[in-house]
Amino acid sequence: MIVAKYRSREVISNYIILIIFALIAILPLAVLIFNSIKPQMEFGVNPLGPPSEIRFENFSEAWVKGEYAKVFFNSLKLVAGSVLLCLAVSLAAGFSLAKLNPKGSAIIAVYLLVGISIPAQLYIVPLFLLWKEIHLLNTHIGLIIIYTALNAPFATFLIRSYMIRLPDELFEAARLDGANTFQLFFRVALPLSWPVILTAGLIIALAVWNEFLFALTFISEEGFKPMATILFAFQWRFENNYALQSASAIMMVAPVAILFMLFQRRFISGLTSGGLKG
Amino acid sequence: MKIFSNKNFVAWYFVFPVAFIHLFVIGIPSLASLALCLTDWRGLGEINYIGFENFIELFDDRYLKKAIINNVIWTIAFLTVPVGIALTCAYLLTGIKRGQMFFRLAFFFPYMLASVINCQIWKYLFHPIHGLGGFFERIGWDFLAVSPFTMKSTSLFAVAFVDGWHFWGFLVVIYLTGMYQVDNHLYEAADIEGATKFQKFRYITLPMIRPVFVFSIMIIIIWSVPVFDYVYILTGGGPAYSSEVIANYMYSQAFERFDVGYSSAIGTLMFFYVMIIVALFGLFRKAGWDI
Amino acid sequence: MIRTIISFASVIILSTSFSALAKTKVTWSMESNADRDPIMIEKLQNAYNNSQDNHELVIEFEDNETRLTSMRTAMIGGMGPDIVETPGPSYVKEYHAAGMLENLDSYAAEFGWKDKMIPWAYSSGVFEGSLYAIPKTHESMVMLYNKTLFEENNWKVPTTLEELEDVAGKIKAKGMNVFSYGSDGWQPTHEHLVGIYLNNYAGPQAVYEAIIGEREWTDPVFVEALELLKKHMVDEGYWSGSLENYYAIGWDDFHAQFANRGAAMMTIGTWTFQATQLGIGASDDEWGWAPLPSLSSQSPDPNFMIAIGTTMSVNANGKNKDGAIDVLNWIMSNKDKVLDIAKDFQFGEMVVPLTLSSSDIPTDIAPQVQDYLSEYARITGEGNYGYCTWTFWPADPGVHIWKDMEVVWAGDISVEDFLYDHQKMWDKARKNGDTLPVPLRN
Repeated sequence: MIVAKYRSREVISNYIILIIFALIAILPLAVLIFNSIKPQMEFGVNPLGPPSEIRFENFSEAWVKGEYAKVFFNSLKLVAGSVLLCLAVSLAAGFSLAKLNPKGSAIIAVYLLVGISIPAQLYIVPLFLLWKEIHLLNTHIGLIIIYTALNAPFATFLIRSYMIRLPDELFEAARLDGANTFQLFFRVALPLSWPVILTAGLIIALAVWNEFLFALTFISEEGFKPMATILFAFQWRFENNYALQSASAIMMVAPVAILFMLFQRRFISGLTSGGLKG
Repeated sequence: MKIFSNKNFVAWYFVFPVAFIHLFVIGIPSLASLALCLTDWRGLGEINYIGFENFIELFDDRYLKKAIINNVIWTIAFLTVPVGIALTCAYLLTGIKRGQMFFRLAFFFPYMLASVINCQIWKYLFHPIHGLGGFFERIGWDFLAVSPFTMKSTSLFAVAFVDGWHFWGFLVVIYLTGMYQVDNHLYEAADIEGATKFQKFRYITLPMIRPVFVFSIMIIIIWSVPVFDYVYILTGGGPAYSSEVIANYMYSQAFERFDVGYSSAIGTLMFFYVMIIVALFGLFRKAGWDI
Repeated sequence: MIRTIISFASVIILSTSFSALAKTKVTWSMESNADRDPIMIEKLQNAYNNSQDNHELVIEFEDNETRLTSMRTAMIGGMGPDIVETPGPSYVKEYHAAGMLENLDSYAAEFGWKDKMIPWAYSSGVFEGSLYAIPKTHESMVMLYNKTLFEENNWKVPTTLEELEDVAGKIKAKGMNVFSYGSDGWQPTHEHLVGIYLNNYAGPQAVYEAIIGEREWTDPVFVEALELLKKHMVDEGYWSGSLENYYAIGWDDFHAQFANRGAAMMTIGTWTFQATQLGIGASDDEWGWAPLPSLSSQSPDPNFMIAIGTTMSVNANGKNKDGAIDVLNWIMSNKDKVLDIAKDFQFGEMVVPLTLSSSDIPTDIAPQVQDYLSEYARITGEGNYGYCTWTFWPADPGVHIWKDMEVVWAGDISVEDFLYDHQKMWDKARKNGDTLPVPLRN
């Protein structure tokens, strides 16, 4: 009985700490939500509180002004393409760096580390000229390649740090059964790695969804522009129209939030199954 | 891992795609840009070789020094506050059953928002007229009525706070992925021996998530080098360079002052800065860390 | 398969032969603004397109900061719009030096552009003896004040430093801010104030001498001018109450502050007129304008600082140079149409520097603006003009003058040291041939 009592107290303190941090994380977002349904007139008198009258027109106005129906699919295309390509190359590289350790792989690791730290301002102009030469400007595939390069080093390291924890015995056993390296990758490493695949995929998806610097520079044709550039343009064009800005911000984050909630459950379950248990 | 080493070339097949794409998109264009560090190119027009003039100027540049110091402060701030909070929250999350989903979503939510949106929210909240500023002024707390983005003593920390607020939920997810890899039997065994929460964390969780933890430290240090958007959007490095960071300074030199040659010299310096960091990682690795 | 290829080919052939009959496209990348864009489409793009059958003008709107970067990147790659719009001569200079702009001399001669334009504005586009840019908008700085408020309190609109400091004290005693202004969203706002203090304290003549290199920026008269600005900004908090609030307040906020009596006056450029008319103009208070007060005996007479807001040039690598020139010529030759656009912006935008007679000034704009336009023409016509930094400062010192002004205001560096650095930058710019055209002073 004493043990149980101690435990429940422990759980309560857990919850208190967690709730405090959860509030810090989401309270400021309440302002965003309030603002998105607040009439623009009300901002002067009631900047922080909930609106006196709920106005969903902000959303429809932002939807029309930002041509969201169109840009939404552009963003979706970019995200899907980048996640697929980036995961494919990063999983392979992460596996190699974690389990195969080819001679000189440290050089690749160092190169990728340095790669993460290069600010875009350094290479964006030469890259633009290169993209122009090979006719990748104003194409989604051109942006997908860029996004893959931008996110692959991080994804590679993330995957590597996960795969390194996979027990070597499993690979040894498979090897003894006659599996070649590709089979080790596809049959042993991948099935065990899907939590990190989800995490990495989610992070790549978010990075691409929210990216605007490259999208603004490399896509000038209206029909190809993704969502983030529209949001960015809104900030400028409707500078202090907080209602419109907040509504467009919420429309941008809603699909990602839903996606995250859908995959959340999968994160947890399945982790305990498989060959992880000692 | 002896059993794998006999087919080294196969291992290279696996890293080749990443290396190729990255070199093609970032590596080679960056080198092309760095090659301009010995010139006075202004972004357009002819390119003149001027030797080490840019570098001589670099060592006299007090705002660059300020930017470098700010980058270091930024790194330290991120290595402590978000890491500490995220570790605590991730660990506490593994210990509860109800509300897991809610907390994960809550913590991760700011990370899902684009930088432009986050900046908009906090700029609004800290605004002297619209946000909390007006509220504090009404209740007479005038010292809080001023936006921290506009005071030189607080601007850097205010920007770092917003970026950190956005970032720590990401760390929670990273740590959780690691923590779920920990075998439950270990905790059960520890429970039987009557270990406290902190002891379990210190002796089971932390050692078991070490690769993920070390990874997070490494990635924070590396990501702190090119930090740009939050500074650019919130303060532009001001007021009076008080929140200036290297990447923003480089941007300003290349795109505001059109001093592309000088900007490349800063890029070169940055490159050496990164190499020092990577060398440090190498040392840690020798010391037995899983980097 | 073959059938598909054939049908594709025929489509392509058809479409090319069709487009040969159609108009050729002229592109113009323009700074975007939600209020202005529809008018530009209607009264510039559509009006031009309806006026002839050869070219089709297409304006591409983009927010200014990204536009500048992406256009620049595109220009380096030999692409970019046919009509190159820049925020001022320092940008023109860069493009010109790189050989990316078309020499407009022959067209100017053919179509008589020079005679249609205000002389100083024409010369602002002349580089190495040839015309490369035409101002799309020229502008100046003015002081706005809440006329109703001033009358209620019997305040006098200041014309000198003493009067300014006197009325500022009275305004503050009423719990209001002296000037409504702020730099949030546009950090270079600082240079508006720097320009005012340099010209109205040291005087336009001294500024001119420093620009052409006959006087050092370290001259005591400039030190005093910036010391005075620092005093008014930091110690007195003239702009929005404090330095910090000045940094935190943006365009919409300072217009609102001026409209709701949060502040009694405003120092701003003439691009404000439309917003002012929509802001305080729509309130119960009446607004007035005045030239900026003289701040010392060195600059006793009212002057108007001259500036170029945006310029238009022709892309030397453009796909349709003829079309671009035709568009420019349409603008230069249709004074009534151009004035009609400017009218919609209360002469805050698209103020092409065509020479105007008093009968050209539209009567259906705000009376204050009519009044301003004739005063501006009279005083600058007499040669009493000062120099705005963003039009006459080369790129490097042009950034230094606003960016590092924050360091002065923060107290991290003295005004003397700041101006010492500033002079060094000018020396370097002069050595590299980066200085910009300056109209001769009579």
